[in-house]
Amino acid sequence: MKYVGIVGTNAEHSYNRMLLRFMQKHFSEKAEIEILELKDVPMFNESNDQSDSAVIQHFNKEIEAADGVIIATPEHNHSIPSALKSIIEWLSYNLHPFDGKPTMIVGASYDVQGSSRAQLHLRQILDAPGVNAAVMPGYEFLLGRAHQAFDQEGNLKEEKTIDFLESCFLRFLRFTEVANIMNIPEEVKFQPGEYHVTAVGHNGDLPMTVRLTEDRIEKIDIDTSGESQGIADVVFTRIPSQIVEGQTLNVDLLSGASVTSNGVIDGVAKAVKQAGANPDVLKKRPKAASASKKEDEEYRTDVVVVGAGGAGLSAAASVLQQDKDVIVLEKFPAVGGNTVRTGGPMNAADPNWQKNFEAIAGESHTLEEMAAIDESEIDPEYLEDFRTFKQEVKDYIEATKNQKAYLFDSAIFHRMQTYLGGKRKDLQGNVIYGQYDLVKILTDKALESVEWLEDIGVEFDKEDVTMPVGALWRRGHKPLKNEGYAYVSALQSFVVENGGQIITDTAVEELIFEDGKVVGVIGKGLNGQKITVHAGAVVLASGGFGANTKMLKEYNTYWTEIEDDIKTSNSPAITGDGIVLGQSVGADLVGMGFSQMMPVSDPETGALFSGLQVPPQNFVMVNQEGKRFVNEYGSRDTLTQAAIDNGGLFYLIADDEIKKTAYNTSQEKIDQQVAAGTLYRADTLEELAEQLKMDPAVLVDSINKYNSYVDLGEDPEFGKDVFDLKVEVAPFYATPRKPAVHHTMGGLKIDTETHVLDQDGKIISGLYAAGEVAGGIHAGNRLGGNSLTDIFTFGRIAGQTALKDLK
Amino acid sequence: MKFIGIVGTNSTASTNRKLLLFMKKHFAEQAEIEVAEIADFPAFNEPSDQKAPAGIQELSEKIEAADGVIIATPEYDHSIPAVLKSLIEWLSYTTRPLINKPVLIVGASHGSLGTSRAQTHLRQILNAPELKALMMPGVEFLLGQSLQAFDEDNNLLYPDKVSELEELFSEFRLFVTINQKLVEEGHYNTEEQKKFSWEQSEGGTLS
Repeated sequence: MKYVGIVGTNAEHSYNRMLLRFMQKHFSEKAEIEILELKDVPMFNESNDQSDSAVIQHFNKEIEAADGVIIATPEHNHSIPSALKSIIEWLSYNLHPFDGKPTMIVGASYDVQGSSRAQLHLRQILDAPGVNAAVMPGYEFLLGRAHQAFDQEGNLKEEKTIDFLESCFLRFLRFTEVANIMNIPEEVKFQPGEYHVTAVGHNGDLPMTVRLTEDRIEKIDIDTSGESQGIADVVFTRIPSQIVEGQTLNVDLLSGASVTSNGVIDGVAKAVKQAGANPDVLKKRPKAASASKKEDEEYRTDVVVVGAGGAGLSAAASVLQQDKDVIVLEKFPAVGGNTVRTGGPMNAADPNWQKNFEAIAGESHTLEEMAAIDESEIDPEYLEDFRTFKQEVKDYIEATKNQKAYLFDSAIFHRMQTYLGGKRKDLQGNVIYGQYDLVKILTDKALESVEWLEDIGVEFDKEDVTMPVGALWRRGHKPLKNEGYAYVSALQSFVVENGGQIITDTAVEELIFEDGKVVGVIGKGLNGQKITVHAGAVVLASGGFGANTKMLKEYNTYWTEIEDDIKTSNSPAITGDGIVLGQSVGADLVGMGFSQMMPVSDPETGALFSGLQVPPQNFVMVNQEGKRFVNEYGSRDTLTQAAIDNGGLFYLIADDEIKKTAYNTSQEKIDQQVAAGTLYRADTLEELAEQLKMDPAVLVDSINKYNSYVDLGEDPEFGKDVFDLKVEVAPFYATPRKPAVHHTMGGLKIDTETHVLDQDGKIISGLYAAGEVAGGIHAGNRLGGNSLTDIFTFGRIAGQTALKDLK
Repeated sequence: MKFIGIVGTNSTASTNRKLLLFMKKHFAEQAEIEVAEIADFPAFNEPSDQKAPAGIQELSEKIEAADGVIIATPEYDHSIPAVLKSLIEWLSYTTRPLINKPVLIVGASHGSLGTSRAQTHLRQILNAPELKALMMPGVEFLLGQSLQAFDEDNNLLYPDKVSELEELFSEFRLFVTINQKLVEEGHYNTEEQKKFSWEQSEGGTLS
């Protein structure tokens, strides 16, 4: 048996120390007693946590490793000494080594009492929930008149006293064995299945699904679509990931978010209970390994990627495809960045596929309109392509003259739309448009990217061609699986299965720059530890700065105003870190003043996919008075400006048929949102208007007119020319919307191979950038569906170029 | 009347401090309450010279001069914080200013129990002969849910607790007045009792 003996005082001379030393010697054949002293223990102070100090850690480790603890306490003022109380406080605050630990109390005093009252206090103290020691009942060993009790060798003089001490100690040996049986981790067995419980959100309960196999917590999914952003996002990813990693409910709460942290733990505990197991057993398990790692770490690899969104994972995958090593650092607890938040369709012109689909009303008009643009309006580098495009349109019209028109597309048309759609003038009169060579790569390699993703493992829905919001054309390749998750999960699996390492919870804070070359990064891990990665190349794929309002406002030259409390559809991780890192080694920036607002965002959360988010041909937008106010098929900027001009908040009106075209929702979600008051539903338009506090006559009139324009195929009021469904089948819906920050087009200046360039246009050796962190492609406005094309194309190129340069 | 209010913790975010600051403000017309902090005192370690460190000495003199002491204690592990215990040990080991000094115990806790067990321990501790404080019998002020109990200006937001505290405080003042009479009439042998030595006592015991 191995015990720790604590001398319950910091005094130089102590009879309790003598007593423990006697026990150590006298019982040496039965047990090993290691004596710990309180002299160096600092006074407990919850405002100055020193749990990590060497002395407290020493106590913690020794007690945890021991079979039991013997405390020898003096009595000061009818209670235990402050020095002893202080160590118990330290060991019941963030550390809990006494939990379930067999403990024996002894005490010596100058008077006859022998610390009787202190021992009673100590029992009560050790019984407190944070301490929770298993104190041996009875067998009180009180050594009174201690100054007369020992001989010169420190041995107890009285045989009777020794006899009683022996009987107490023998009893404690037995007690230790029995009490420690309670500490053997209990097996847990779950009734396998998916358990539907809830977590605590800021706007009410959040649905949570816990998947349990017979002996494991397999997966925890929290539906945060109704949640506003911020630190909570970290809670809802980190807590579940630590629970699953450690198969434990012993998880550190996030500071500043204890209620939501506890909500997740309690929810999982409930699921565990429903599955017939005792959650307390899981609460006693050790924390996940990643939660207690504090040592600095150092790695060496070929390529290090900053950011585990779509661009970063693509860069990593392309490195692995050439059998080189890669490490991806992600500052959030989960991979996916903004990519996991997208609606899914990615733009790529694939005429051979698209011609299987019939053209829809208005599309030929769009083509003719673009072909009719005067050549003087086309910038010289795009002119040749524009002429080719005009010829393509002519050929298409000719070919479809006597047959049912099919859906037209070409890489050049995609290029022209990206260029024209991105051309903008800012408030200072500066005109910006996409850099030709970058846009050419984007549009020429888009289809290759789709095929590359198929090789990685993304399955696309070949039966449907879609047009994401703000895309201007139906060339969206939509994954079969849900949302952006389809890309992220496929890429993540590919990276992990091919030996790539993804380190989450690690924010890169510094680039290692030696002899004019970037040769690695330094980051900060979950527990503040330093993570250094030495690499031949660094790929920045950390996203834009849509969640950094301060930075948006600092660079903004496009919007008349960006409000301090503007919402964003972005992950809160998207704070421009890579742009700042690039600047630290002299990178040039391009187009930073241009940010994109998503006009159709949730007014409370900035999220895209709340309410009924339908294809734009089915958008019917009314302002707070119930009047239509814009061509719903217009660009995002037009819609945003129109919304701002109409007071920000507006509504998407839908009927039961339009509802069926909504992305990423289900009847269950819809019902929940109606109940929560974030989506409106009524059996008549009049009732709907009343819910929205509009004049029913105005709304009904707006909808009647809209329906007549659908029949007509054109909209004399606002010029909408692409229609699908009318608003006619009850029940009717209204989804409140408001513009939110969606994308930042500006960023690090790169060349076609993703090298980051300095202000002289020279390559910064060893540094590459891909995705939203880079600028120059989308210029003043990014087409919907183009950022996925961007990240998978340039992410892929970044990995390839980095390896090419390494050779 | 002049009281010393002792903040029984070294935490920078203490609702016991708020409670004392509220009492100081709320009872300003009836008494002067000086709020004393204990965070910077050294940990008690039974020095052989039996001398109080400077800060303890200063506080001890203030206690001597005051008409009474109010201690606001948190509860750590069912008892009083080590840092408060350390102060009490210093006082009992050196100057013993609490002997025959009227003491009012109050406490605030984040949970609902309001430091009930810490207050019981504190009473037992202050009852030790080397402390021999005069505690009002049968009086306790337990403030639960203390995190929500105060506004930014340290106003106590629970009206029932405010009136309870007012009643308690007027009783305490009466207790102090009666006690002063006893002192004046020479019923106490305070100076003699202060000569107490830990080694000679049956109640206080050396390590």
